[in-house]
Amino acid sequence: MATLVAATGSTSKKVGAKMWVGASGRILGAVTIGGCVDARVIEAADEVIKTRRRTLLDISLDDDEAWEIGLTCGGSVEVLVEPLAPGDASDPILSAYGAVCDALAQDEAAVVATVLDGGDAGNAARVVLGSGGLVAGSLGNAALDEKTAAIAPQVISSGSSRTERIETPAGARRVYLERHAPPLTLVVVGAGQIAMSISRFARELEMRTIIVDGRPRYATRERFPDADEIQVGMPSEIVAAIRPGRSTAVILVAHDYKYELPVLRAVLRSAVPYVGLLGSRKRGAAVRQMLADEGFSADELSRVRTPIGLDIGGATAAEIALSILGEIIAVRRGRAK
Amino acid sequence: MSAYRDVVLEHFRHPRNRGSLVMADVSMEGANPLCGDRVRVELRVVDGTITDTGFTADACVLCVAAASLVTEHVRGMRTEEARELSDAVALQLVGGTVPPARKRCATLPLDTLRRAVAGLRLPDR
Repeated sequence: MATLVAATGSTSKKVGAKMWVGASGRILGAVTIGGCVDARVIEAADEVIKTRRRTLLDISLDDDEAWEIGLTCGGSVEVLVEPLAPGDASDPILSAYGAVCDALAQDEAAVVATVLDGGDAGNAARVVLGSGGLVAGSLGNAALDEKTAAIAPQVISSGSSRTERIETPAGARRVYLERHAPPLTLVVVGAGQIAMSISRFARELEMRTIIVDGRPRYATRERFPDADEIQVGMPSEIVAAIRPGRSTAVILVAHDYKYELPVLRAVLRSAVPYVGLLGSRKRGAAVRQMLADEGFSADELSRVRTPIGLDIGGATAAEIALSILGEIIAVRRGRAK
Repeated sequence: MSAYRDVVLEHFRHPRNRGSLVMADVSMEGANPLCGDRVRVELRVVDGTITDTGFTADACVLCVAAASLVTEHVRGMRTEEARELSDAVALQLVGGTVPPARKRCATLPLDTLRRAVAGLRLPDR
């Protein structure tokens, strides 16, 4: 398993990119743009498979070399190449990713940390961390585990993996912190034209979509070939049964009180980080007022984003869908108000 | 504001009997498939008399108001009498002339209630 753990200058992949090289020569994924750099990683992987010892490749490219493989300027990448033993339950790397899968199934983000250099390098030890601290494993050094656990929440909220230099009584260590988060699920209420565009674009953005409507002739597979799920029934009950959490965005594009009010009642007291409502400011204010009359607090109501989407002047269904997805990405990356 | 609008808005904003019944004897869901109104009516029946009613609705203002009014209207009514209620009763309950295009919104809750009563396995008397 090859992992891009650090990069400077021009790179085509983000830290965290992975490539798997099989003993029989199979290749899955990529850590760079390909070409000569990935070729070096594949050569190194063949050696790692033979020796069962991991290695950290530091690959520098001068500007000419970078230009040859299509990058705008030179830089360097560090790629950690490690042996994996599929089927071996004692493999610490597989155990760590097992713990990550468990966390994701609980709708929790997790960070897998491993030491890249210093006295603890050269082993596959992993520690798995969540927002609340240690989840599983150890780096074999209690002080390092503790300091790594303190950084993990920042890594989770930053949205990307990174390598950090961490001071310990035994000296400084470079630790690679790999972020894993549940895929974002879009719950789209109202199976109209905007929902159709959202579903198409979401597939490209690697987001799951669940289309919800009470109208069986609208919420059909023919209209939503890219949707992960299509559910027809009482929308508020469907949404409540999905149990929307921190990795869910609820998008109300029915443009009809009949679904908006019941669905908002179901989600405004949940942990959903994004609730968007299609409609003008005036209409949004009317919906908020009705819910305020029912006892929803100003804080709860302030979570409803309306008008929905980034202000890009969208006029068509596809443009509005794009603005909504842009806003969701901005919220996820901490760029939206 | 017309009497129709007054009644409808009052029952939409303060619906009676909204929510699920614990230990309902019958539960029936109804929908207007093109407009998307969805209603579930639940009843408790004792010795052939409707003693308690509840409804859940992801539905328009008129439909929610009609569900509130109809579930109030049938409380204490014999099931055989409820089964015979005509659509005109629902239209009358919402307080005025319902535009033709909205009649299904006003009658959906009563239609669902009639089907609920018909689905009861309990003896009527």
